[in-house]
Amino acid sequence: MPDIVQGFLFVLHPFHFPFLVLGVGLGIIVGALPGLTASVGIILLLPFIFNLDPSTAMVMLCGAFCGGIYGGSISAILISTPGTPSAAATVLDGYPLAQKGEAGKAIGVATIASTSGGIISTFCLMFFAPKLARVALEFGPEEYFALTVFGLTVIASVAGKSLTKGLISGLFGLLIATVGLDPVEGYARFSFDIPDLMGGFSLLPVLIGLFAISQIFVQLEAVGKGIKRYEQKIGKVLPSAKELKKLLGVIISCSFLGTFIGIIPGTGGAIASFLAYNEARRWSKDPDSFGQGNIAGIAAPEAANNGTTGGAMVPLLTLGIPGDVVTAVMLGCLLLIGLKPGPLLFKENPDVVAAIFAGLLLANVLILLLGVVSVKIFPRVLRVPHSMLFPIIFTLCFLGAFSLNNSTYDMFIALVFGLIGYVMQKNGFPAAPVVLGVILGPIAEDVLARALIISRGDWSTLIKSPISLFFYGISLLSVAYSIQRLRRSKKS
Amino acid sequence: MGRKEIFFGLFLMALSALFYGLTYQFPQQTLAFSPKIFPRFVSACLFIVAAVMVGQGVAALRRGSPAGPPGPPADRAFLVRLSLGLLMGYAYTRLLTLTGYLVITPPFIAGVMLVFKEKRWLRIVATSIITPIVLYFLFRKVFKVPLPRFNLF
Repeated sequence: MPDIVQGFLFVLHPFHFPFLVLGVGLGIIVGALPGLTASVGIILLLPFIFNLDPSTAMVMLCGAFCGGIYGGSISAILISTPGTPSAAATVLDGYPLAQKGEAGKAIGVATIASTSGGIISTFCLMFFAPKLARVALEFGPEEYFALTVFGLTVIASVAGKSLTKGLISGLFGLLIATVGLDPVEGYARFSFDIPDLMGGFSLLPVLIGLFAISQIFVQLEAVGKGIKRYEQKIGKVLPSAKELKKLLGVIISCSFLGTFIGIIPGTGGAIASFLAYNEARRWSKDPDSFGQGNIAGIAAPEAANNGTTGGAMVPLLTLGIPGDVVTAVMLGCLLLIGLKPGPLLFKENPDVVAAIFAGLLLANVLILLLGVVSVKIFPRVLRVPHSMLFPIIFTLCFLGAFSLNNSTYDMFIALVFGLIGYVMQKNGFPAAPVVLGVILGPIAEDVLARALIISRGDWSTLIKSPISLFFYGISLLSVAYSIQRLRRSKKS
Repeated sequence: MGRKEIFFGLFLMALSALFYGLTYQFPQQTLAFSPKIFPRFVSACLFIVAAVMVGQGVAALRRGSPAGPPGPPADRAFLVRLSLGLLMGYAYTRLLTLTGYLVITPPFIAGVMLVFKEKRWLRIVATSIITPIVLYFLFRKVFKVPLPRFNLF
């Protein structure tokens, strides 16, 4: 089991700590820029981390993850444009407060709430993850297959407005994953004798294309439209002690709420933040002030969305199941740097797990420091012209794809998936299920093959174990819940 | 909902049928699990869901329901920008290993900046020269990631 003290000593080492600072800083900037999400921030960091040891790489990615989720609140408050989907609820009270000339206080409250949410959720992660990993160590291939099926049901949750289109995206991802050598006999499927296709599509170019390059093409539509600016001066940042005391209850309860929601696969920061906002409003003595710049309306969603960071890492690290889009990208990153998320990670790489725990905790402390210190720089960050930003990101995307295998073929694949991602986005097909399909497809096929080979082709082995049945049961519940949610949102 | 769903649905049905058909070329099953099981299952599912989408599209057309999310704008200027972006991206992937990173990246960045309608020449020159140098040092010196060097001769 991970030694947390060793984890802290590792992260605080003068060689490793700058990588955490870099991760958090870049995460905040990318998260703050509208059009770039936390996922893009993490993807842009990938080429830099290939030659780092896995623990340092994970520390940097954890920094970008937490920083990215927090960063979304900055543009939400200053220009009413959430940098990330999870900051959408922060706009409701953050922007009105900024319009009253109190942007500093709004960002200060968001920073404190985000830090608290992140720290509380990391403590929950440290408490629950090792216990869950110990249980998961008993799983055989049958249980793993059921677990992967459960992971694939997350597709229904991230399907967006149309379940059909979400399913198509997920199945398209699964189909892409079948290109290349099969896991049992090593037969090159759908490769048409093209050597590059025999290895299948590498995850990194697919991620870069679908999430980052497609976004550049989307931004091409907005060329010449100008960018929103925050022109007022930013004054006092920290709220008064009296205000903080009032917010304490909201922050703590919403941090736990966010953590709990984060643990449930297929939910994520956007759901958590709106739920927390509604709860804070429901329990408030002055619900009418919500939407007009009430600081509790900023603290609640921010505590909750950063609360999901540690929560979402629980199923990711212990079971290898991503909770939402960002953790799906994180799962891809873990695989790319040679780590296999799941219970064995706790057994074989306890040093990495300890570094992740310490990294997440310290990343949230850094958010507090960087958030408060650099609050006056944020409006300037948002003024960076797109004509400078996106060409640089385009270059970074290509270099990232190239650095995986030193191959221009991967750059070409990233470009192709960029175009596919753009066409999908413009026609209502979500990109996240494709990633889930590409990641979980090979895992599902591998464990299914192992289960069938062990049982000599007896398919009933898949439903014999009570643990498998449990996962199939919650898979059905998860899909049913997603369908119900879609129906409800369509009605409203 | 409507024509677009029918178009994409039919395209995906054809794609999944093609993938399913190609699995007949795979070797015969020797173990309890064959390389064709998973692709067949996935392509069959994709075919069914795509058919459902076609059905939804037809039903929407009959109902005359309002259009779904807007597709790519027919704006000609945007299409030109997108084509130029793709073309430059493709050229960059082809030329990177031939000319080397430091030679090809400045014109690539400058070109994409022009596609993004940047008009200030000083900004274009400064960004397209400084960015590749900074990235070069970051990749090669800090993170030890090799970048292609001039290789034309």
